[in-house]
Amino acid sequence: MFLAWNEMKKNKLRFTLIMGVLMLVSYLVFFLSGLATGLASLNREAVDKWDATAIVLTEESDKSLPQSSLTTDELDSIEGKELAILGQLNLIATNGDAKQNISLFGINKEEFIMPQVTEGESFAKDNEVIASDTLKDDGFKLGDELELSSTDEKLTIVGFTESARFNAAPVLYGELTTFQKVKFGDGAAENEAQINGIVVQGDDLTSITSSNENLEVIAVETFIENLPGYTEQSLTLNFMIYFLFGISSVIVAIFLYVLTVQKISMFGVMKAQGISNGYLSRSVIAQTFLLAFIGVVVGFVLTLISGAFLPSAVPVSFDIPTMIIYGVILIIVAILGAVFSVLTIVKIDPLKAIGG
Amino acid sequence: MAILELTKVKKSFGTGHKQVDALKETNFSADPGELIAVIGPSGSGKSTFLTIAGGLQTPTSGGILINNQNLSDLNEKQRSKVRLKEIGFILQASNLIPFLSVDNQMKLLDNVKKDNMTSAELEVLYDNLGIKDLRKKYPADLSGGERQRVAIAKALYSKPSILLADEPTASLDSEKAYEVMELLKKETKQNQTTTIVVTHDTRLIEYCDKVYEMTDGQLRLKETS
Repeated sequence: MFLAWNEMKKNKLRFTLIMGVLMLVSYLVFFLSGLATGLASLNREAVDKWDATAIVLTEESDKSLPQSSLTTDELDSIEGKELAILGQLNLIATNGDAKQNISLFGINKEEFIMPQVTEGESFAKDNEVIASDTLKDDGFKLGDELELSSTDEKLTIVGFTESARFNAAPVLYGELTTFQKVKFGDGAAENEAQINGIVVQGDDLTSITSSNENLEVIAVETFIENLPGYTEQSLTLNFMIYFLFGISSVIVAIFLYVLTVQKISMFGVMKAQGISNGYLSRSVIAQTFLLAFIGVVVGFVLTLISGAFLPSAVPVSFDIPTMIIYGVILIIVAILGAVFSVLTIVKIDPLKAIGG
Repeated sequence: MAILELTKVKKSFGTGHKQVDALKETNFSADPGELIAVIGPSGSGKSTFLTIAGGLQTPTSGGILINNQNLSDLNEKQRSKVRLKEIGFILQASNLIPFLSVDNQMKLLDNVKKDNMTSAELEVLYDNLGIKDLRKKYPADLSGGERQRVAIAKALYSKPSILLADEPTASLDSEKAYEVMELLKKETKQNQTTTIVVTHDTRLIEYCDKVYEMTDGQLRLKETS
């Protein structure tokens, strides 16, 4: 550390530039991870709130909630600790001023997927709904009467729940009958048992079974992964992050290699004096660690500061544990990048380096 | 008792009719407190002799004893330890680390080796070499003579038994060159170090106890008056 730190102190500009590059890479990684988490939340927030083990859908729906159609009678065919019925419909809602894609969840308020009301009150009758409070940013408020696309039914926002979005659309929660009125119109009475799925809590996935072979028990995580676009979006962002890990390793490798080559005669003199390869290698590794650590920490702080100034429309959500893991990975790959320099140092012949 | 002993040491490059004997069969020994010069023209094999004596390259044949340790029995890692413990190098271009101040050049050695000079001993050394006021300076801020004196301080700081100097006065004017030789002589006698100076400058031999002449790889003791 002695050599590493003194060299950095003496050559501030040179090492600040390297740190700057690492800082920018880590800034980008943290931002992409925030974007990945934010976009994932847009899709799965409402599902995560269920705290469920599985969801039961029809087999022919191919794990798609809107495509699944079953009846409440199927509750009897399912084994699980807690069961909750769910009807789901995608709509466009407007309060006259603002217009927004929404996802209507028809539920039974006595069951475990009923969300916690953070403002206003729970729905008490048909056509009353609790809305995700993210809709407030779009201009929706308590008491708004919502007109819906493809139906004459109107819904009234009587309460808000904390951020609940499903497949990128804010969720409106209402009674199952509200959902059926919106979905079937005049035919609601004949379809009073129609739902899209049954959400189940259990000790584990294997404890949840269905005696109806036309129904499929799907782990919640699998269900989320099969939401349209979710996996493709996550993979794209994650690939970008993984590539950045590789890129940062290569950047460090190139910078340190160039620095090492410039110092070959200096390392040679030190080796001639009997300073071991181990000491010199540890010094390069320590220097890389310092550069990467400072770069990553500055990148981390800058990301959080930038995040605070972003408009709410940008779907960024910083998950600190994930960012810390990515930060540690960045430091590790930077150190791996220093291996080239270490190998170069080990191969230096002190005799040649001092011109013997 | 000799601190450095070379017995039938030979160094050849190439094979067959292309073989070049950079150092012909050489026997050499040096005692503590001796200042020895090895003189000869460029390409005569002086540096080969010095680097073999310093364990930086292995001879084709023969044995080297440094403080009773046979270098031929050691691997590179072990030879490196011997160099650190027993040998101080003063090179033609000073062997200073550009980003370390004079004081930190010494501290670097504290990081890799124990039993170096104490602070009090270092003060005396700085005083003797006239570099007391340079301790916070970096090599780039020093003149050629100052750099060479710091290099001597660095070589002596680890209390080596043997000091090997390769053209230590090459980049200095005559006055500074004599000054450096005076210092080497003083430190050699004071610390009972064995100092071997390789040089082509015959004016410096008056400071030495023994003078060897290298001609075409052959080392011979030169009679001095």
